[in-house]
Amino acid sequence: MKDVTLGQFFPGNSIVHRTDARIKLLCVIAYIVGIFLAKSAAAYALVLVATVLLALVSSIPMSTLLKSLKPLTFIIIITSIINIFWYTAPEGAVPLVEFWKIKIYAGGLMTAVYMILRIACLIVGTSVLLTYTTSPIALTDAIESLLVPLKIIKLPVHEFAMMMTIALRFIPTLIEETNKIMAAQKSRGADFSSGGLTKRAKAMIPIIIPLFISAFRRADDLAIAMECRCYRGGSGRTKMNIKKLAPTDILLPLFTAAIIAGAVLLNKFVPFNIV
Amino acid sequence: MTSAELKNVSYIYSRGTPFEKKAVKNVSVAFEKGKITGIIGHTGSGKSTLAQLINGLLEISEGEVFVDGQNIWENKKNIRSVRFNVGLVFQYPEYQLFEETVYKDIAFGPKNMGLDEGDIDKRVKTAAKEVGLDEALLDKSPFELSGGQKRRAAIAGVIAMQPEILILDEPAAGLDPRGRESIMKMLSSYCAESGASVVMISHSMEDIAQYCDDILVMNKGEVFFFGTTSEAFAMSGRLSLIGLAVPQVTRVLIELNKLGFDVSTSIYTVDDAVKEIEKLFGGGEKC
Repeated sequence: MKDVTLGQFFPGNSIVHRTDARIKLLCVIAYIVGIFLAKSAAAYALVLVATVLLALVSSIPMSTLLKSLKPLTFIIIITSIINIFWYTAPEGAVPLVEFWKIKIYAGGLMTAVYMILRIACLIVGTSVLLTYTTSPIALTDAIESLLVPLKIIKLPVHEFAMMMTIALRFIPTLIEETNKIMAAQKSRGADFSSGGLTKRAKAMIPIIIPLFISAFRRADDLAIAMECRCYRGGSGRTKMNIKKLAPTDILLPLFTAAIIAGAVLLNKFVPFNIV
Repeated sequence: MTSAELKNVSYIYSRGTPFEKKAVKNVSVAFEKGKITGIIGHTGSGKSTLAQLINGLLEISEGEVFVDGQNIWENKKNIRSVRFNVGLVFQYPEYQLFEETVYKDIAFGPKNMGLDEGDIDKRVKTAAKEVGLDEALLDKSPFELSGGQKRRAAIAGVIAMQPEILILDEPAAGLDPRGRESIMKMLSSYCAESGASVVMISHSMEDIAQYCDDILVMNKGEVFFFGTTSEAFAMSGRLSLIGLAVPQVTRVLIELNKLGFDVSTSIYTVDDAVKEIEKLFGGGEKC
């Protein structure tokens, strides 16, 4: 349970850290579009270089970034296998390797490599741009302020953002609580690691019930504490830190715009593929 | 007779990461049966870690732990049965109650031990009696009980396993003075009746002074002192060096001593202090 790194934030002072969270949020969307636009080898190279550049600038340790890819190993392997072995080759393509019924084409290998690059860039890029360099509070603030237009159609944007903030805030608390309850039940001989599926599911009851009760208790306490400070939802609330755009906030949008433009242009003018 | 013994035990948190921290350093202690041992020390001095090392929730990094003469890590698969012998009551144990009835909750431990129904029934009832829970409460939901009753029910759940050594982390935390006193009295009578070791982690010097036979003082993961209660509180100077205070009555006597009154400063219960001060007025007549 200690390894849960949901939205782990690494404080820092790089340009990526300092950029306004709203800008970063929009840039991430643009960046993802950029990745999916890349079609040729040159465009992929550009995306890769851009991602590495971002990672270097953010000064997040490379080992951490590689670790964030680890949970995806399975997906990466599966997609590679599918791409390599189920590649529908164009007419007249000569397979690289051929034995029994299996034919491996250069095209298939290429698509597999592109796929891996795409997934890796997607994960590394979004975590560098967003989760690793933006505090959860800044992130929910950004979401709230970007969703403000939806207020027109009476969506409770502030409440939604508040819910997210509270949820994020309580993740570590509940993890700690779970560990405590698990230790306590283990001390009474509870066994979580043996037996079949039903037995294991049943073994979770002594954890889940106290956890729910404590979550409700905390929710109650929090509600009272908020009410004591006269919280009554979003209307009329002002912010302590009003985010103002700084001149440096233009750099990241320019960078992502360059990726998109570069990908499109390279696709068109350097449509070189190894196949 | 010792119930649990630690030999040169060390424990390192998050070994091999930048967050590596030695929480317990080279601790060697033995807990006697039929005695109450108090563990005192600052937050982060390794008290709670020590408790979890004795029942095998945490695996020691170095050294050996013996429970009932058996090295608990000799056979890793048997670690669960060690926990039946080392009852551990965590802080605020009432937060782990989960069953529909108090009876079922107390029976959780004995059931995990694989006992038969009759045996479980006997144990649940004895345990409830031991902690002073009325039998009528056994059929209630644990969530209908009062705070103090919940605490008792949770402690009964551990006592029902009839462990050789019962370790409690702050058993009286958050209770009112009356609840506090009755929990402490209950523990001391449990210790005398069952003949098990009782080990109690506490921040209350008064409770420790009044109810414990031995004291283990932890400081920064090391054993600072291990001996009888009177020995421990006789060294108020050394205790205050590591930021621990002696009981209030002892402090009163120390101050009186400084003012030139001839009183002993190794007294740590109110009753003894009253007698000592009465001596000053000539032979203990009541005024």
